[in-house]
Order: sequence, then C-alpha cells, then structure tokens
Amino acid sequence: MHRVPPALTRLALILALLAVWELATRLTSVNVILIAPPSIVLWEIVRVFAGLSVPDFYLNAGITLAEIAVAYAIAAVFGVLMGIAVASSKVIGDAFEPILLVLYAIPKIILYPVIVLMIGTGYASKISFGILVGIFVIIFNTAAGLRQVEPNYVRLAHSLGYGKGKIFFKVELPAAAQTILSGLRLGFGYTIIGVITGELLVVNVGLGFLIDWASVNYHTAQLYAVVLITLAIGVVANLVVSRLERRWVR
Amino acid sequence: MMSSAKRDHYLALTIRTIAILLFLLLWYLAVKLEWIDSMFLASPLDTLQHLIPVTRKAAPDLYATLTSFSVAFVTGVLFALLVGFVLSISDYNRKVFVPLLVLGVTIPKVTLMPLFILWFGIEQLPIIVFGALSAFFPMVVNVLSATGEVKPNQILLAKAMGFSRLQIYRKVIFPAMLPVLISGLFYACNAAMMGVFIVELALARHGLGAFVHDLAMTFRTADMYAAVVLTASITVFINMALWYGARYFGRWRV
Repeated sequence: MHRVPPALTRLALILALLAVWELATRLTSVNVILIAPPSIVLWEIVRVFAGLSVPDFYLNAGITLAEIAVAYAIAAVFGVLMGIAVASSKVIGDAFEPILLVLYAIPKIILYPVIVLMIGTGYASKISFGILVGIFVIIFNTAAGLRQVEPNYVRLAHSLGYGKGKIFFKVELPAAAQTILSGLRLGFGYTIIGVITGELLVVNVGLGFLIDWASVNYHTAQLYAVVLITLAIGVVANLVVSRLERRWVR
Repeated sequence: MMSSAKRDHYLALTIRTIAILLFLLLWYLAVKLEWIDSMFLASPLDTLQHLIPVTRKAAPDLYATLTSFSVAFVTGVLFALLVGFVLSISDYNRKVFVPLLVLGVTIPKVTLMPLFILWFGIEQLPIIVFGALSAFFPMVVNVLSATGEVKPNQILLAKAMGFSRLQIYRKVIFPAMLPVLISGLFYACNAAMMGVFIVELALARHGLGAFVHDLAMTFRTADMYAAVVLTASITVFINMALWYGARYFGRWRV
C-alpha cells in the first residue's frame, strides 16, 4: 500500500467522497434544495462558464478579481513599506508594534460595518476590507524577515564600502526575501477572503452577489457551482503565488 | 544618567502615546469640522459616553456570542486534536492529508456560509458550525506540525534511560509539541471569532454581530461605534487571557 504515491491516494479519496455524495443524493430522499448531486453541479459549472446559468457570470467574476487585484496591490506595497519602517529602527518598532499587534488581534470583521458606514457600499468598501484583512501578516513578516538578517552580513558589506541604500537592496532585502515572500503569500489568501466576505455581507455585485442570488432563489445547483468556482479561484490563486514564491526564493 | 536602552524605551512610549492622541484628535476633528457627516462617524467622546449604556444593552447578545464562540472554539480544537493525532500515526497519512488540510486554511471558506445556512438554519447552529470549522483547519495543521517536532532520537534516549510510556509522553513528547500547539490555539481562537462574527453579521439575529448590524442599519452611529469598541476590547481581552494562560502552563519549560 505504501508504494502508492500519496497524491494518487488523495485523488482516490476525493473521488470516493464524490461517489458517496452522488449516491447519497440519488438513493435517499434528501431534499434537492439542500444538496445537489456532484454530477448536476458539474454540469451546472459547465453551464456557468458557457454563460447560460447565472446572470452576467464573467462581469461579476471580473469585478471580484479586479477588487482582489487592487486590494492586494495596495496591501502588498503598503504592507512591505510599513514592515520596512517598523524594522528600520528599534524605537519606531517598539512604538508602533504594540498598536499593530492589538489591531491584528481584533477580528477585522467587526470593523466592516464601520467601513461600510464611512465609505459606502461600493467597490471601495470591499477593497478596503480586503486590504485590512491582508496587510498585517505582510507587515509582520517583512519586519521579522529584516530583523533576522545576520548582522555580520551588514557589517561585512559596510566594511566593503557599500552605502546604506546598496546594503539594503543588495544584502538585507535578499536575505529577508524568504520570510517576506511567505508573508506576501499568506496576505494574498487573506485578501481574497476579505474581499469575498465583504461581497457576501453587503451584496450588490461580484461573485458574492451570484452566491447570494442563487441562495436567495433556492437555485441549489447554481449555488454549489458558484461556491465551488469561488473556492477554486482561491485554490488556483494560492497555487500560483506559492509557485512564484518558490521560484523567487531560489 | 539614564541608560540608552531605558531612554529608547521611554522614547518609544512617548511616540506611541503621541500617535494614539493624534489619531483621536483627527477622529474628533473629522466629526467636529464635518469632514465626515456625524451620521456616519461618531466622535470619540460620544463613543465613550455611549460605551456603558451600550454594554448594558448588549449583555444578552454578548452572552450569545461568548457561548457560540466558546462552543465553536472548543469543538474545533478538540476535533483538530483528534484528527491531527490520528493522522500523525503514519508518515504516509500525513503526506496524503496535509495538502488538503492546508488548503482548508487558505481557501475562502466564507463562500460556504450560504450552504451552512441552508443546512443548519438561521439560529445559533450555523454560527457554531462555521466558527468550529474556522478553528479546525489552522489547529489541525499545527497539531500535525507539532507531532513533527518530536525527535525520534529523544524518545529513543528516554527509553534507554528507562522512562515508562506515560513518562515519555509527559516528559518528552508533550513538551516538544507544546509551543506549536499553543500558536495553533491562537490562530484557532482568532479564526473562530472571525467565523462567529461573520455569520452573526450575515444572519443578523443572534449575538454581537447582529447587535452591531442593527445599530448600523438604523444609523444609531454613536451606539454602533461604542459596540464596535466593546467587541474589539473583548477580543483583545480573550487574546490576552489566552496569552497569560499559555505562559502560565508553559512556565515549567524554561
């Protein structure tokens, strides 16, 4: 048994689960509003991509992806900059890190009503919430990465006559890259969660709107299809970023 | 003459205090000078004044949230410990399941919320289930990496020294795993709170999430800011309690 590659066993398990799910919905009298069998969900996913199933799929998916992209770009740039600032001097770090830690400990979701009240129900509130959920891990990882740089490297570079800027870009940043990049990867996942949560709580456009539309109208197959597509976007995005991370670290 | 470390400490404290005061001043001015309409932003003083009455009014919702959270957190963590230890028995299991469980942490589980409402209704059950699920994934990943922290050589050594099975568990395996388990608890705690609040906000029927939602909907702005401050303080308090608890139980390690 141990000669079977783990990936294959994993696949077999998932397929078995789908088979049980299919059989359970076919053979028992579970209400179709509650659970749609995988075969129907799969067919629905095909129809969603063909544009036949839910209203304006590509428009809504595009909006969600654009919100994620904008939120992540801002979170990444400001997160790294703030991380650099926090790590730049001990005094600044000691002054602001407790504040950041307290903010980090608060579940950001309770600030969402405040955000919506202040900047409205449009894209800006979802993007802001995505930034808020994603940025902290980027700040902390950037600061931690820069702090754990071997001080001897910096001393050596200094004695070789490198300037401050050159030391930062040629020595400190590359040495901290691995931790910073893993912060950027985690931050990306959190940003996606933030944007989609925002869409689901204040419904007007995007994939959140489609999920809500399907659930309110009891279009169960469509609901499962859109939920799976949204989850798949999360999975694919995470895979892409981990791939990039691994390439850059090398 | 103060030592430079001490001086830096006070300097940091001063900068922090000034930054917080500046933030409060900006917040105050934003309302006072009507940069933002007072319908959408209550001044810090108003918020403070509403804090006590709001806390009193929120008591039943606070109770509902704390029970949902505790049940979700404990269930999620216990389930994660069970699954984590069962899977950690063989290296093969670990290879099969870890990628799936890691995926469980990173995907936007919140999309499942409508399904949960469909399955579990609109009372407290979907709140608890979603909270528990949110706590489960980060915890189980940490349990699995915690079991990886135990070095086989240390167990071998302990056996050679004539430790009993129970002693090996108590003196070798458990201490090696503890730090990773504790960091898992922190993730699980915050994830459970986030999960509980999300469903409370969405359902708007039970708990602090519903309380805040109602206040926002009816534009009782000062009350809402007070409720948000109250909720934030409670979550910070829970985190600190967990932190001190972890330190108390971990004190023998040093």
